[in-house]
Amino acid sequence: MVNRKEKKSCGQVVEEWKEFVWNPRTHQFMGRTGSSWAFILLFYFVFYGFLTAMFTLTMWVLLQTVSDHTPKYQDRLATPGLMIRPKTENLDVIVNVSDTESWDQHVQKLNKFLEAYNDSIQAQKNDVCRPGRYYEQPDNGVLNYPKRACQFNRTQLGDCSGLGDPTHYGYSTGQPCVFIKMNRVINFYAGANQSMNVTCAGKRDEDAENLGGFVMFPANGHIDLMYFPYYGKQFHVNYTQPLVAVKFLNVTPNVEVNVECRINAANIATDDERDKFAGRVAFKLRINKT
Amino acid sequence: MKDIQNSRKEDGRETSSRGRKDTCWNRKKNHQKQETEEEPDLDDHKLSSEDLEKKYGTNIMMGLSSTRAAELLAHDGPNTLRPPKETPEIVKFLKQMVGGFLVLLWIIVITSWIIYGIEYSVDPSASQDDVYLGAAVGLVIILTGTFAYYQEAKSTNIIASFSKMIPQQALVIRDGEKKTIPSEQLVVGDIVEIKGGDQIPADLRLLSSQGCKVDNSSLTGESEPQSRSCDCTHDNPLETTNIVFYSAACLEGSATGMVINTGDRTVIGQIASLASGVGNEKTPIAIEIEHFVHIVAGVAVTIGFIFFIIAVSMKHPLLDSVIFFVGIMEANVPDCFQATVTMMLTLTAKRMAKKNCLVKNLEAMGTLGSTSIICSDKTGTLTQNRMSVAHLWFDNQIFVADTSEAHTKQTFDQSSGTWTSLAKIIALCNGAEFKPGQQSVPILKKTVMGDASDATLLKFSEVILGDVMEIRKRNRKVVEIPFNSTNKFQLSIHETDDPDDNRFLVVMKGAPERILEKCSTIMINGQEQPLDESSAEAFHTAYMELGGRGERVLGFCPLYLPAEEFPETYSFDIDAMNFPTSSLCFVGLLSLIDPPRSTVPDAITKCRSAGIKVIMVTGDHPITAKAIARSVGIISANSETADDTAKRLNIAVEQVNQRDANAAVVTGTELKRMSSEQLDEILANHSEIVFARMSPQQKLTIVEGCQRLGAVVAVTGDGVNDSPALKKADIGIAMGIAGSDAAKNAADMVLLDDNFASIVTGVEEGRLIFDNLKKSIAYTLTKNVALLCPFLVYFILGVPLPIGPISALLMDLSTDIIPSIALSYEKAESDIMDRKPRHKEDRLVDKALVIYSSLHIGPMQSLGAFAIYLTVYAQAGFKPSTLIGLREEWEDDDVNNLEDDYGQEWTRYQRQYLEWTGYTAYFVAIMVQQLANLIMRKTRRNSIFQQGLFRNKVIWVGLASPIGIALILSCGLGSLPALNFTMLRVHFWFMAVPFAILLWVYEEVRKLLIRLYPGGTYIIKTILFPKFPTCTLIMFSSFGHKLEDSSGNRDIIKNSYKKRKKIV
Repeated sequence: MVNRKEKKSCGQVVEEWKEFVWNPRTHQFMGRTGSSWAFILLFYFVFYGFLTAMFTLTMWVLLQTVSDHTPKYQDRLATPGLMIRPKTENLDVIVNVSDTESWDQHVQKLNKFLEAYNDSIQAQKNDVCRPGRYYEQPDNGVLNYPKRACQFNRTQLGDCSGLGDPTHYGYSTGQPCVFIKMNRVINFYAGANQSMNVTCAGKRDEDAENLGGFVMFPANGHIDLMYFPYYGKQFHVNYTQPLVAVKFLNVTPNVEVNVECRINAANIATDDERDKFAGRVAFKLRINKT
Repeated sequence: MKDIQNSRKEDGRETSSRGRKDTCWNRKKNHQKQETEEEPDLDDHKLSSEDLEKKYGTNIMMGLSSTRAAELLAHDGPNTLRPPKETPEIVKFLKQMVGGFLVLLWIIVITSWIIYGIEYSVDPSASQDDVYLGAAVGLVIILTGTFAYYQEAKSTNIIASFSKMIPQQALVIRDGEKKTIPSEQLVVGDIVEIKGGDQIPADLRLLSSQGCKVDNSSLTGESEPQSRSCDCTHDNPLETTNIVFYSAACLEGSATGMVINTGDRTVIGQIASLASGVGNEKTPIAIEIEHFVHIVAGVAVTIGFIFFIIAVSMKHPLLDSVIFFVGIMEANVPDCFQATVTMMLTLTAKRMAKKNCLVKNLEAMGTLGSTSIICSDKTGTLTQNRMSVAHLWFDNQIFVADTSEAHTKQTFDQSSGTWTSLAKIIALCNGAEFKPGQQSVPILKKTVMGDASDATLLKFSEVILGDVMEIRKRNRKVVEIPFNSTNKFQLSIHETDDPDDNRFLVVMKGAPERILEKCSTIMINGQEQPLDESSAEAFHTAYMELGGRGERVLGFCPLYLPAEEFPETYSFDIDAMNFPTSSLCFVGLLSLIDPPRSTVPDAITKCRSAGIKVIMVTGDHPITAKAIARSVGIISANSETADDTAKRLNIAVEQVNQRDANAAVVTGTELKRMSSEQLDEILANHSEIVFARMSPQQKLTIVEGCQRLGAVVAVTGDGVNDSPALKKADIGIAMGIAGSDAAKNAADMVLLDDNFASIVTGVEEGRLIFDNLKKSIAYTLTKNVALLCPFLVYFILGVPLPIGPISALLMDLSTDIIPSIALSYEKAESDIMDRKPRHKEDRLVDKALVIYSSLHIGPMQSLGAFAIYLTVYAQAGFKPSTLIGLREEWEDDDVNNLEDDYGQEWTRYQRQYLEWTGYTAYFVAIMVQQLANLIMRKTRRNSIFQQGLFRNKVIWVGLASPIGIALILSCGLGSLPALNFTMLRVHFWFMAVPFAILLWVYEEVRKLLIRLYPGGTYIIKTILFPKFPTCTLIMFSSFGHKLEDSSGNRDIIKNSYKKRKKIV
């Protein structure tokens, strides 16, 4: 009973709507006059303009607390992650030896990726540093900028350097190279002054069997301390992070092999339950041969 | 038998037939058609005993045979009322589980589980977030549903409605023998004997009656005992004296009757089924809540769907789009709304119970607040439901007696000799006695044996004279003639307490005109004077005066019999009347009335100022009704009915323009002749209305009439006959003391003290709860925008998700319930009883509220939260500009070396952890701003400083609880994988404070403007701010109609509405 409304005919409803949309008698559009609409729009324009200005101002103030060179907080990056190159979907490195196309894109990516490591470029841009110790460039009160980076020459990658290599990093012969790199973290002294290296192994026993032998470049998967610390993109302009190449020599063909590489360094934990990429990287390797 | 006859002194319509079997006159056909439509269809009262015997196949002397009775019992079923069908508990529970938003929430649960199912089938390592979300939402649903169910079960006090009324045993004649059988076994045609104190076991046609009187109050509302004989006195079976009805009580006398209806076919059974037949109207607050649910659900689904379509057309994976859809819906739906509202209402219900209003139907509470018409009973609600001496007239003067509930002494002038004489008659000429063993009970509370008038006079004289029993002992009663309707007087002869005076004293009381007839002198100032013209004139004036006030007037006179003629040994014979009953000395008049409760006039004034119309509906006589109406203020002192005007101007009633009269007294017979349009006109045109001599069906008609006018009607009632009206009314109010179970069952509210004033308290609470509900909805709605924005920004700008669905859900849980409930403890801002009742157009959730919450406060809150979210990312290495469009890479599990603005590389988990920190920060930011929102929502018009921060202590709990929950989530439970909360740096907790202050300042400015321009300038009224208290405002009326300000400009609206109608 509370809202008893008369039933209206369809025509009446349409009429009402028409009048609502444009009422010629009162010159109202959608229930209000032009000036009323203008006022509303003006109000919201001013109101939201004010809010936007407020927001911009706040953001500007807040961003003042952030330096251009070093992040304010790094607590999430205590353990650098490891990653492989070529980056493939789901980190599955699948090579059909006879099918050039299956690995050609990997090769292209690697070529591009390794370009920066060409000896000529390295020699031109970066310093030759003393291995075995951190290459520190403190500011000492004055901004020491830009900072120099140490050379990592492509030739150090030996068989995996891809230089004058008809096998295309071994992809055409079923002995592919996979490059391991460690995530850059600003002011991180990897290894805590002790030497560190990358090791790889099959994840399970059968994986180890199927994996067969491999060689690493630089030898033993060594990563030198001189590449640390990293000072950030703004300071460390030409920084090239150290790489470790792994060449798999005789992977059992047509079998999926789970490989896990981890870094052995005093201050990098590799057993984080949640973060599967903390100090380690797992990928699948499959060489298809007919 | 003798005792019964002696105790019968009431001025009822007693017939002379005692113990004689009358053959009723036989009339058939030509009944009024009108009547049969409304009244029960019965003609047994017009049949003769022989016809009855034939009709029911029984024998008046022998009764039914047992075998025949058994057959009939098997055929008709037992003589009990079928209880109304109860919804099974499990159905009620399930209803709570799917009511309102919960349907939407179930959709979310199911969708998220289906999504997980699909993801799992594609990739077994799929993230379990969706499972957790589904489970969390499911948990919320079950908790909310269970809570609501528990509350309802608790507050719905289901009384087994009619079971109490069923008499246990009946004395029946079967096979020529008297037997006592359970009354359930009665069948039609049984001959039943009833006596005083019994409850009538079924509808009976009386065959013989010995001074039988019944209390039909629960059926017809007549509070006085009704004499019953076997004469058919009226066509209407309800009016005739030879039918007694099931569940009525036989007060005195005895009777034999034939059962004519049993069980559900009895008149009361039909009323009961009529009551269950009238559908329960949806309470306004239920409508409001539904309205709110529809708005929010509509918005949620619409926005979700629009973005779902956009997502799909932008070639997002279908599954992502669905997740997105779920997220938006989740953000929009106030999950705990149901629980909050129930809780708020329950708290208010508890508060009201303390004030003697027991609310049975929680949602009815809001209705109370919007009540615009109260149809109140007279007896017991407006009045004290006990007779009391109101006025005395002696020495040509009217004296006013104290009628208040607690009167302990009378203050009128008692020095006159006339009074001494009158007091003696009052004490002596009285058949009532106190029940023994009540020494410690206050006089007015003592139980009295005897009829109502005598009991009143007994208490009256006990208060004034002290021990009446002692006085009676000293003036030994020699003989008495009890009151009867032919004599219309009561007489007793006493010895005097003066040992020297051996005259007999005859004392007499009765109908004043009869008493005056028997008098030749009148006592003035203790002196007997001849009764001349002028004193007779004075008597008549006084009599009319008192009678016109609806009071029952009694006259008193004594006579000392000369000792010579009537020596001590004289034997009086009441049948022969061998003593004089004329030439007595008239002493005075005394008038009785059921006085109004002392709190009622105030309450009525309060109703007036609150814009509530009070209508009296009573079965009583129009004069009494009008007198009471005047004395409590239902008819105010300076308004007149058409009759009054006619009398004043000395013209015929017909000549008076009905519209000029403010007040109207309408009787049942008049109402019967009216069309519904005429009734509407009366209801609309008179502000003060009294309905007298109303039958239960007519009460329903009145309620319907009021509802046709668009009013929200509250109706009080106590009898079974009231239940249809109680059910039909927007809010039915039953009397707790006098009310029958049926009425209590049908009502939404029970007044524990039967006091009209409690209704007004209820209205006040109802208005407050509506205000407070509005506040908490505004509070809740605001946050929804801040929870919706993240999804939109995430989707449109491709930033990492600012707040996850589970965090959003927890947001609802932690910031909604307790603070909202705290708002329900908020005191009224100003005197809410000075406002007009809420107009029906004034919704709990109206455009203004939605617009203000979601276009003003909501965006401000979102900006604050976003600022903090962006800061979290910027300080970790991702600047705002980088975030835009980052979503795809950010969420790619294969990308474990995502570079930030400093050249650092992030694994997926590291990013995710940062995202969770973002969730937490966003959560905390909203939480902090909601605290400000909570404080500023304390008032709708006044400044916070006017309201006072400290008056509502509970609000502090409301403020502390979100902080506590956020701390627990962030610090304690953050490690749980499903919750996605992280520890937050201390400064993030305070970063939103400036935004919170900004919110509050904005709101204060708004309120200031409202206060400065209460009527509203053009800008304020039409553009910026919703008006208080009824704020149907404009702004974006994309789907709305024209702006209607329902409080101040109702006339304008009316006119514009009329115009619109004309055009249409």
